Amino acid sequence: MFHSHFTVIALLAWRGLKQHAFSAFVAVFTISMAGGLFLSTWKIKEETLKAFSNSSGGFDAVLGARGSELKLILNAMFHLEESPGNLSWEQYEFIRDAVEVKKAYPIAVGDNYHGYRLVGTLPELFHKHEWKKGSKYEVQQGGRIFTENAKEALVGDFVARKLGLSVGSKFHPYHGLDFDENSRHQETYVVVGLLEPTGTPSDRVIWIPIKGIQQMEGHDPAFAQSVSAVLLTLKGAAAGFRLHMKYNKQGNQATLVWPVAATLARFFDRLSWFEDILALVAFFVALVGALIIFATLRTVMNEKKREYAILRCLGASRQVVTCVVLAQSLFLSLAGIIGALLAYGGIGLTASRLIREKTGVVMDPLSLPTLNKEMEYESLWHLVQEEGYESLWPLVEPFLPLLLLVLVIFLIGFVSGLIPALQAYRSSLSENLSRKS
Amino acid sequence: MTFLEVKHLRKSFPSPEGGKSLVVDLEKFSLKPKSLCGMKGESGSGKTTFLHLLAGILKADEGSIILDGQEVSQLSESARDRLRAESVGYVFQSFNLLQGFTCLENVLLAMSFSGQAKKPWAKELLERVGLSQRTNYYPRQLSIGQQQRVAIARALANRPKLVLADEPTGNLDPKNGQKALSLLKDLCEENGSSLLLVSHDENVIESFENQFRWEDVNQVPSSTIEE
Repeated sequence: MFHSHFTVIALLAWRGLKQHAFSAFVAVFTISMAGGLFLSTWKIKEETLKAFSNSSGGFDAVLGARGSELKLILNAMFHLEESPGNLSWEQYEFIRDAVEVKKAYPIAVGDNYHGYRLVGTLPELFHKHEWKKGSKYEVQQGGRIFTENAKEALVGDFVARKLGLSVGSKFHPYHGLDFDENSRHQETYVVVGLLEPTGTPSDRVIWIPIKGIQQMEGHDPAFAQSVSAVLLTLKGAAAGFRLHMKYNKQGNQATLVWPVAATLARFFDRLSWFEDILALVAFFVALVGALIIFATLRTVMNEKKREYAILRCLGASRQVVTCVVLAQSLFLSLAGIIGALLAYGGIGLTASRLIREKTGVVMDPLSLPTLNKEMEYESLWHLVQEEGYESLWPLVEPFLPLLLLVLVIFLIGFVSGLIPALQAYRSSLSENLSRKS
Repeated sequence: MTFLEVKHLRKSFPSPEGGKSLVVDLEKFSLKPKSLCGMKGESGSGKTTFLHLLAGILKADEGSIILDGQEVSQLSESARDRLRAESVGYVFQSFNLLQGFTCLENVLLAMSFSGQAKKPWAKELLERVGLSQRTNYYPRQLSIGQQQRVAIARALANRPKLVLADEPTGNLDPKNGQKALSLLKDLCEENGSSLLLVSHDENVIESFENQFRWEDVNQVPSSTIEE
């Protein structure tokens, strides 16, 4: 411990901060919050976009009433927002039979059970559709898929857990998309199956036969032959383009959302102002953090002037004393970086839980960018040898915000520590030795 | 043979009026190796400045200080730091222990700057000053007398050639003062270090065979020095 200057400096710095633990804690906390906010603005947006894009449930396109694409996609795929309108059953049959379409599943919405949506569809959605490549919906043991004309329900995993529903449970649907206990329907539905979790919005849906929604007591009879939207799988990109031209450019009866990911990306782009505001908040919090680090180190420095003079008297050089102050700023920075990652973890997990509860979309805020390219080579060195240093850029780029965070916090610590360190460097040994402690 | 030789030493500080106030003006002063020497002087007469000059804490305006063959006043700042780390021990009136460190750590820290931190020797020193049971105590947990004993152990930690003691008994009661003084002298003798102790206390100075009066050495009258 006392054998090298390095460890002595570290010890002196650590003990110095320990004697000002509260100020040091406030400085670290502020920097952590700023860093956490900064990381959150970047990662949560990125992960949310990724999660939403992966949560399209295996569908290529959505057909709905003429209107907002975003509203349609949120309603039909994410079971959020109100339906922009209805399509007739004939319109459904028309698209179902179109040469470009591989599969078409109509859905109807309009009722809920304790705030969770009832979505009417055909049983074949659960028999045939792959919600993710190679993955069909699976029903938990002891359950089955509802039959077309029965008052039966298949419940998403999240809803089942939240509402305590199990096979055999009976319930009355409520009218509308928002829960109102005065608008209870008379029909009784029986839960016949619970879906295995998928991490998609379908986890927070109660699925019933489409005729159930269409013909629910109290619904407008005109609704009995209409659907809210049609979820589509297509025969390739060209098919999508042809349908897009047919419905969106030439027709005026319905809206086709295709490709789904592009619409979602546009939606997230529209939220960039929010990201900017968060970044601005993070900037100001970081500024406050920097000032607190500066004030803390200055206070430590002023209170320790005599102690530093004693060290000088024992033979410590100016450089050693300066390094002690800089090491303190380094410690605060390191703690700030760890704190920022923890704060981000907290913010990310909370955001992830909220998004899961509100949309059913599962995002992993703690995931790191995946590196595939270097896997093709024996090592990064081989990659560099084969393709040059530029080839490292795609590997580094995903980590840029993280690297930026580390760099910025170190800079904040360094700059805030620099003035007190210079003060320590310049301070007069003889004068400080004469100070009263 | 002289171990410390000071000639034509002058040191002044800026005065509040704008000019310069001369504090040390010393024609000649010397110490023999391994000698224990007491120097009496009034408070505020420039004794501490003189010790600071000897230790290389301050740089003289004029004159030379030759310590063990080295011209201190010509040394660079880092060389003076090294000199303090390796060859000079300093005992203060107010002990100046580092409050965030235990007794043992205070002694080890003093050793660390000369690159020779030896725990057994640090423990032995603390044992020698009667604090073997207090090595892990912090200064605030010790009595005043015990704190000064830690300071003495720290000053001797690097086996310095010269120990400078600035009113080391000034904050102690007579009994503890006597104890600290004896300990300091004994340890310097055991260690082969020269000791230059300055004090305003007649009784302290009289315990030394070699005695000086600062007023006889320094040509600046005490009454003209601004504190």
